[in-house]
Amino acid sequence: MGFVINYIMNRSKDLDTIAPDDLSVEASSAVEALAKSAAKSDEIVISKPVKEVKEKTKETKKPIIENDFNPGFYDILGHTKSPFSAFLVHPKVLTFSEQDENEKIYLAARPHWINNLSWILLATLMLFVPLFFKYFTFLNFFPIQYRFSALLFWYLITFIYAFERFLTWYFNLFLVTNQRVVDIDFNNLLNKHFATADLEMIQDTSSSVRGVFGTFFNFGDVLIQTASEKNQIIFEKIPNPEKIIKLLKELRDLEEQKNDGGKENE
Amino acid sequence: MNNILSINGLESYFFVFIKGFFIFSSLLYFVFALIVVKQVTSMSKSVTDKFNPILIIFSYLHLGFSIFLILTMLGL
Repeated sequence: MGFVINYIMNRSKDLDTIAPDDLSVEASSAVEALAKSAAKSDEIVISKPVKEVKEKTKETKKPIIENDFNPGFYDILGHTKSPFSAFLVHPKVLTFSEQDENEKIYLAARPHWINNLSWILLATLMLFVPLFFKYFTFLNFFPIQYRFSALLFWYLITFIYAFERFLTWYFNLFLVTNQRVVDIDFNNLLNKHFATADLEMIQDTSSSVRGVFGTFFNFGDVLIQTASEKNQIIFEKIPNPEKIIKLLKELRDLEEQKNDGGKENE
Repeated sequence: MNNILSINGLESYFFVFIKGFFIFSSLLYFVFALIVVKQVTSMSKSVTDKFNPILIIFSYLHLGFSIFLILTMLGL
């Protein structure tokens, strides 16, 4: 042991004549020799600080906005009770075709379900319309096959009316992801509308709750002003607009912090 | 009404017209049902959710019923 220490001391005196690489090689070999000659407990002492350093580097590299859902957002948005809810917080299954690999959906919202009430009532009424035909006796003039075909046709039209309205509601989505807000609309089965705005491009957000139903069921419009070419995105009849505004504010703040942190590091 | 249409053999013409109208309508409806299947499939690709397979099944059921409607109309 004493021989090894003397060896290192002597070598360090000749620093001017020895190449730095040589010194480091010799020093590391000396440390190895020390470690081998020492007890096994010494090895643990040597390896401990290395672990601590690794942990510290991990902490410093941690991004401010992670891809995973921040549990703190549950305090703002609450939890989703039903998979068919119009306000899905951190949906696990839902994805969209334009989604990036690292993009995670924080919130998916559809128009409040109460907006479906009008077409549900109308479709229910349409179901009962054929019952009134029995009072029109002149229709008995038609053979039974004709009446059956007309009835089938009527019920198919009723079904497709309700189905189309449901699809329009179901695929009318407002998404908040860890990168942007997305608006997906399908109108009348034939038109698709897709709009997006990056979180950092959002300049201002506002919401409006109108009417008796809007106030009673807490739904309204969310208007997002962006710095992009299409400078406005409107989400209509969305439940809990105030929660969405809060979430967007939180995400924008985190985005700003991230950008500021990035600048400081530069 | 039966008496009115039976004058000059109008009844047969009336039913031919009604049958033609029904067949034409059901054919148009079949094309519409095809569009619905296409659109539901396209929507499901665009937005994936656990409820999508049920919607696709409904659209195909609707297509099946529209074919049944044509067959019914042809059988009149």
